[in-house]
Amino acid sequence: MKYILLMSGTKAGVDTYRAWSKKDIDGHMAVLTSLNRELTESGEFVATQGLAAPHEAKLVRGLMGGMPVTDGIFPESKEFLLGFWILDVATPERAYEIAARISTAPGPGGVPTNMPIEVRQFASHGSQSS
Amino acid sequence: MKYILMMHGKKADWDEYTRWSKEDLQRNVDYMRSFSKELNDSGVFVDTKGLALPHEAKNVRAGQNGEPITDGVFPESKEFLAGYWVIDVETPEQAYKIAARASAAPGPGGKPANMPIEVRQVLGSHSDLGV
Repeated sequence: MKYILLMSGTKAGVDTYRAWSKKDIDGHMAVLTSLNRELTESGEFVATQGLAAPHEAKLVRGLMGGMPVTDGIFPESKEFLLGFWILDVATPERAYEIAARISTAPGPGGVPTNMPIEVRQFASHGSQSS
Repeated sequence: MKYILMMHGKKADWDEYTRWSKEDLQRNVDYMRSFSKELNDSGVFVDTKGLALPHEAKNVRAGQNGEPITDGVFPESKEFLAGYWVIDVETPEQAYKIAARASAAPGPGGKPANMPIEVRQVLGSHSDLGV
């Protein structure tokens, strides 16, 4: 079963992250890198991506004639996707377990960030990749 | 430059979508298929995925001993990710153009759904964040 684990945050949350010390960032990344290695070894890892800071985010619609109309204004409460992990696991419980591990990655001063991780399954028909 | 194009919707939007006629659904799926094929043929396609209905979505945190605490209650206003495309293009403008095409996918009665598509750059590495 393929699951996607989504980490999201508001712009204010991202600004806080940008103020972390180098040591705190390195500590955070070390835990996530070692988790990725562990998931690769267990055969559950499919992919992970981080997204750029949301300041450049655009909402796009198409006008008549297909011209893109871009809008960069979002409500302050908007939860932006920061990054995701795609996993292939045997049960939803295993996906929750891994999400809990990500949630305990250390933040400032080594204290777990306790960020909520949204766990979603892929649609069975809607998956294709090159 | 890699970009991710994301489609979002509230639970209410999904409920509406599940009530589309078979004909409307088929028209939308055909459009999306030929859109993905065209992206593939033009060499910008990296990946596309659709997510399952948000009714099974869980928010997960860790408890005292690291055990997962799951919560399935979300505000009604919550925008759930419905699906995404990852593309590899030369400029953000090219990404916006492609997003506009996704937005023009037909909805009920064949009218363009005009869904907003969120366009975000995907990081090559963590250092791209500039922190």
